[in-house]
Amino acid sequence: MGTIRNDIRRLRFEHGEMTQQQLAERIGVTRQTVNAIEQGKYSPSLEAAFRIAVVFGLPLEDVFHYSRD
Amino acid sequence: MSFREKTAWISLVSTAGIYAFYFWSVLHAAPSNPDGYVDGLLGAIVALVVVQMVLVVAVSAMTPRKEMTPRDEREELIDLKATRVAYAGLASSVAFACFFGAFDPPIIFGTNSLLFLLVAAEILRSGCQIIQYRRGG
Repeated sequence: MGTIRNDIRRLRFEHGEMTQQQLAERIGVTRQTVNAIEQGKYSPSLEAAFRIAVVFGLPLEDVFHYSRD
Repeated sequence: MSFREKTAWISLVSTAGIYAFYFWSVLHAAPSNPDGYVDGLLGAIVALVVVQMVLVVAVSAMTPRKEMTPRDEREELIDLKATRVAYAGLASSVAFACFFGAFDPPIIFGTNSLLFLLVAAEILRSGCQIIQYRRGG
């Protein structure tokens, strides 16, 4: 099994210090789900991952990173 | 704490509390009034519905409007995982009860054994939901 990391926390702050709640509203999930994704406790669906990437205007691989352990 | 986690707590606490009282009263009334459990069961069901409705309405009123969103994918997954655990628990406990004759007459014990397993499965489901909400999914 590999590990999925992400740069959502950094990207939020680089995009006008966007809050978790604001990101959650834009991708259609709860704030708690954004928090769980940021902390690596929950891996989002492919669709939710694409929605997050679209919010930041970046390709998916610039937001999420997969590494084999 | 999210709105869904609060409702899971409401389900867990109200179900455990009301049915604990119901089963306690059944065990104490059974020898003298073996058919009297039906009224108690109806009372427990009505109490459970009323208590849960009142608490969910109260929690809804205290939760900010922007947090009252439809269930998202993580919450759906948590619900599915908890239901799978509860079903496994229910199926294995029913099989165990059948094997050891828990549904034999008199009917008061057979019916209430089945009800007890259903209530235990519901408590297990709510408990699993809460654990997963606490863990983050």
